[in-house]
Amino acid sequence: MSAARRPRTPQLAIGGLALAIALAPLLLGSFSVSLLNDIGIGSLVALGLVLLTGVGGATSFGQAAFVGIAAYATAWLTTTQGVSPWLGLLFALLLTGVSALLIGMLTLRLGGHFLPLSTIAWGLSIAMLFGNVDALGRHNGLSNVPALTLGSWSLADPRAIYYLIWVIVGLAFLFSHNLLRSRPGRAIRSLRGGATLLASVGADAYRVRLSLFVTAALFAAFAGWLYAHMNRFVSPSPFDVRASIEYLLMAVAGGLGQLVGALVGAAVVLMLKNGLQDVLPMLTKNAGQLEAVAFAALFILLLHFARGGLMGFVRRWAPGLLAPAVPDAAPSAVPPLPRRQLPTPGTPILSVQGAVKRFGGLVAVNEVSFDVNAGEIVGLIGPNGAGKSTMFNLLTCTAAMTAGRVRFLGRDITGLPQREVARLGLARTFQHVKLRPQMSLLDNVALGAHARTRAGLLKAGLGLDAAEERQIFQEAQRQLARIGLADRAFELAGSLPLGTQRILEIARALAADPVLLVLDEPAAGLRRKEKQALGELLRKLRDEGVTILIVEHDMDFVMKLVDRLVVMNFGAKLVEGAPAAVRADARVQAAYLGGTA
Amino acid sequence: MTWDVALILGIDGLANGAVYLLAGLGLVLIFSVTRVVFVPFGDIAAFAALTLAAFETGRVPPTIAMVGALAVVAVAVEVTSLSRRGEFARIPKAVLQWGALPAVPCLLAWLAARPGVPAAVQVAVSVLLVVPLAPLLARIVFQPIADASVLVLLIVSLALHFLLSGLGLLFFGPEGSRTQPLATGTLMLGEGFPVSGQIILMVASAIVLSGLFFLVFERTVVGKALRATAVNRVGARLVGIRPARTALLAYGCASLLAGLIGVLIAPVTTMYYDSGFIIGLKAFVAAIIGGLVSYPMTALGALAVGVVESFASFWSGALKDVIVFSLLIPVLMLRSFMSAHAEEDEEEVDQ
Amino acid sequence: MKTLIRCAVAVAVSAVFVASTLAADLKVGLSVSLSGPNSSIGIPYSKGMQAALAYKGEVGGRKIQLIVLDDGSDPTAAGRNARKLVEEEKVDVLMGTSGAPSAVAIAQVGREAKTPMIGLTPLSFSAADNPWVVTVAQPTQLMVDAVIERMKRNGVKTVGYIGFSDVWGDLVYDAMMKAAPAAGIKVVSNERYARADASVTGQVLKIVALRPDAVMTGGAGTPGALPFLALAERGYKGGVYGQHGLINPDFVRVAGASAQGSLMPTGPVIVAEQLPADYPTKKIALDFRSAYQKVNNAPTSDAFSAYAFDGWLVFLDAAARALPKAEAGTPEFRVALRDAIFTSKDVVGTHGVYTFKPGNLYGVDERARVIVKLDNGQWKLAP
Repeated sequence: MSAARRPRTPQLAIGGLALAIALAPLLLGSFSVSLLNDIGIGSLVALGLVLLTGVGGATSFGQAAFVGIAAYATAWLTTTQGVSPWLGLLFALLLTGVSALLIGMLTLRLGGHFLPLSTIAWGLSIAMLFGNVDALGRHNGLSNVPALTLGSWSLADPRAIYYLIWVIVGLAFLFSHNLLRSRPGRAIRSLRGGATLLASVGADAYRVRLSLFVTAALFAAFAGWLYAHMNRFVSPSPFDVRASIEYLLMAVAGGLGQLVGALVGAAVVLMLKNGLQDVLPMLTKNAGQLEAVAFAALFILLLHFARGGLMGFVRRWAPGLLAPAVPDAAPSAVPPLPRRQLPTPGTPILSVQGAVKRFGGLVAVNEVSFDVNAGEIVGLIGPNGAGKSTMFNLLTCTAAMTAGRVRFLGRDITGLPQREVARLGLARTFQHVKLRPQMSLLDNVALGAHARTRAGLLKAGLGLDAAEERQIFQEAQRQLARIGLADRAFELAGSLPLGTQRILEIARALAADPVLLVLDEPAAGLRRKEKQALGELLRKLRDEGVTILIVEHDMDFVMKLVDRLVVMNFGAKLVEGAPAAVRADARVQAAYLGGTA
Repeated sequence: MTWDVALILGIDGLANGAVYLLAGLGLVLIFSVTRVVFVPFGDIAAFAALTLAAFETGRVPPTIAMVGALAVVAVAVEVTSLSRRGEFARIPKAVLQWGALPAVPCLLAWLAARPGVPAAVQVAVSVLLVVPLAPLLARIVFQPIADASVLVLLIVSLALHFLLSGLGLLFFGPEGSRTQPLATGTLMLGEGFPVSGQIILMVASAIVLSGLFFLVFERTVVGKALRATAVNRVGARLVGIRPARTALLAYGCASLLAGLIGVLIAPVTTMYYDSGFIIGLKAFVAAIIGGLVSYPMTALGALAVGVVESFASFWSGALKDVIVFSLLIPVLMLRSFMSAHAEEDEEEVDQ
Repeated sequence: MKTLIRCAVAVAVSAVFVASTLAADLKVGLSVSLSGPNSSIGIPYSKGMQAALAYKGEVGGRKIQLIVLDDGSDPTAAGRNARKLVEEEKVDVLMGTSGAPSAVAIAQVGREAKTPMIGLTPLSFSAADNPWVVTVAQPTQLMVDAVIERMKRNGVKTVGYIGFSDVWGDLVYDAMMKAAPAAGIKVVSNERYARADASVTGQVLKIVALRPDAVMTGGAGTPGALPFLALAERGYKGGVYGQHGLINPDFVRVAGASAQGSLMPTGPVIVAEQLPADYPTKKIALDFRSAYQKVNNAPTSDAFSAYAFDGWLVFLDAAARALPKAEAGTPEFRVALRDAIFTSKDVVGTHGVYTFKPGNLYGVDERARVIVKLDNGQWKLAP
């Protein structure tokens, strides 16, 4: 395939922006440069919020507290210990990072609405502590914080520190951009899909969220360090909950869906406030009190017209500007990712022994045992309420067994967390498809290969994982080709019909190089043609050596597909054997039809 | 810390907790029906209190202008949206509902501002005057974005709070006010423990109103309709419930609750134009402890916050809030652990 | 003929142009908190400054332009305002603000931009740090000394303290701790509460349990009434003293009967009519009152607006002496203005008589304080 050369609008826009930023201090007055400095610092914090809240789904009302920790850390170190501000940066980053780690470990397991409230709790507590510690100047704060110096060149002047601030902002955006396109980035972008999705590809949602939280805190730390050495004065009040709310307002006004929304949001909020301060006194005597009212009213109006923020607005009216770049030519081939050694056909790879699951007094699964051998397709069927779904959850370790054991590849996996089992080679799909609608097909499949590589957050952000990424995308492309979607690799997954989505999930599962592929009612809701395509795909996979366990409701579909059937009824195993034998069995007929025919 | 000190602190804490309880109920009511965390709830309570203070000093309360202005805007917005849909026949009724109805409390308030009006009437009118505020704000600000994500609704809610407190500063000035007690007299609790009648009134109101809440939500059809809308908006529509209408009802009830809270606490607390924030925050804490769905847990959470706050202030006045919020984190961890955590997909970001 | 008219127009225009550059306006930049927690002090500052502008809007033949910006009680915004004022508006002098951290932020900008600053609140840094700042407020120590002296006169031996958990509460407490031991008075408690708190029951219970002879409060504005109300509720019978942050009609309204008979120090402007006829500040204080009434259509009843008026007076006096030396709007003028401020001698203001010397932020003496007693809602001089 060769697409027409897409106009490089995004690159042009970014280049133009960078040029404008570089030239600004030469053209603008001193106060405007100060305002741009404030915008730069604000956009750093807002960037952390776009990552944490926009992408990661965790609303934080406490970012200003991290700004404060860093600002106070460097202010204290440089004023009381007389140390260079650059060492102050290291100290600030260290202190903020450790605080974020501790707070995250305590609170990031909280679910639902408890997490945002916990951010208010620690955000408020930390901000209040600043004003009560003698060493930090109590409510007077610390003044005479030294300015930054680069050799003999002092950065006290707004125009001088401007370049440092905007270089840091640029690097932060670059880091975030690299991060989101990489392996940890795919995991971060899947946080909103739920912990089960991440566990199914071998990732720990809690750890992903924790690393994201610390990253956002470190961005805020840079902002705090710059704030302290630019204003050369720190006091408790710029770091309270209201400041955190203002950073959130910035991120939302700019647009939580785009990284550049942080910059746009910070600029909009600060320039609006400045503009109102200039304009309102000309209109009314009560300008001071009306500023807050006018700002809030305009902000609400903005969100009415563009609830995705300003960048959401841009995205609707000029989608080409923000569309991700599609490469023109196919990338050159790289050595493939290492593959697992598949077991010899016929050896048992999954062995369920006496599985029992009780929900209070109800026994959902009652002493079920069966095996799955390498190279076959096994079907697990049964009428409604037979306990198939529960059984499925038990053998993928999504739910805990009350009694019994499961062995996978000779290992006892009973009680292991789902992500460990996934890493051992058991890949699954979901009954309700869990794809990331805003990610491309290629990205969704690449998520499946999460456990096969190891690039961490730092390596990814610095762009040092290029080789690994090429390998992952080659693998993802291969899986897409296997299911026949190779030419649609860059479309968004949300635009696919349900049947195709189901097949895409299978591609994602295959990208994990599994030993056993476990499918949860893949034919549910599919039309006849889609079911045919699915059946052909599964047979093709079996012929290539993939072992498949399929839990299904549709007898017709299953009969023509599987090598062996396990039938459940009322939580117990009814019968096991070849499809023809099972179909002829009187007990099976009684279970489905309610009586012997 | 002796027993009598502990008793006084406990009563003080319960009185504050009663206020947070009522505010928490209001927040949970609105969230469960509309998914909006209604931060301006506290501001409406503050306005009711300041309106009553204005009455008592013989001024015409500026709240009348606020309600009037909002009514005008709401009528304009409603008429525009009806015209856009071509439903011109419904315009007169809309004008009546959004324009004439809020004008009634405004007229009553204007009449009540004259000297010689009994205190009870002034109290009642103060409450009535703020009742239109939440529904009007909901129509103007929240209805156009009713299907936005919870985060956007929360951010808009916060912005609305800043707007209202800014208006409060403009209209009521920066200084605070207290009003005359609604209930005089004291009750003696054992040897020399005066408990003021006002506090008893607050606690009693909290009990009565929570009881009413429970009855309405469990036993009446209207209450069940409200709960139905909360659980499943589309399902509710399928059985003939109109979500927009139930939302308005919820906002109206919450407004009434806020007004009652305002006039109840104004005699014992100095109310400022920005008092709403701290009331709203503590009520939010209580509501979250209740998981934003459970009224009994919200009540427990509110009382706990009030009592802990009271004792913490005895231990260290300056660090009181630090203590309360730091203790909140383990409570949240416990609560999160206890609540059966069904795996919910997060909403996608608005694009 | 045409050329003649054109020449005449050119000459007229250039004359106006030259005249306006010759007689450049003086610019005063004021940053105050018109919104936020400090607005109860910031709004009176702004009103007082407007009264001052109306009272005397020109000096040495030059008009004075007043630019007022709101900093919302946020030190970052205060610093930003200060930068806007010096860099965009090129003001000759900075004035402000309510809240010590915000004042520090402005002072720092003033020092870097070499622009003098006349503060309106007590400042908490040392003069050596910043040779560009003075303040017209009385030093907190001066006021608290008067309270301690009065307590000693009234036979108080132990005193409890309850104040704001912010800079103001710290300032009053520190001043008290310096003066009390010398007067033989023991400070038995250091309770604090936040401005936004609705109840101080816990703190007051602790104080009452210690049974001190008197209680000193360190609040300001209406939130400062809370300890008075709580102490009255607990039936505390000892004297409750305040300080000049409470001189505010809304405080009187909210505290009501609980503050009856309270003693506190304040600048003499509050009781101007009750001052003896030969008191140096009496006349200017009465002038201030009438100017305020005219501009704001309401009588003045708080001390804060008078600080703004005094700041203006100090500026006028110094500007008159600096104008012959340099042109307004130039850096040289700002240096000359700063030098003139620091050589101010006996400038009579509403709060006191100002004499500034280099190395000292404050410029008032005992003439800047009197003790008043709250009697049936009115402040009465209590010598």
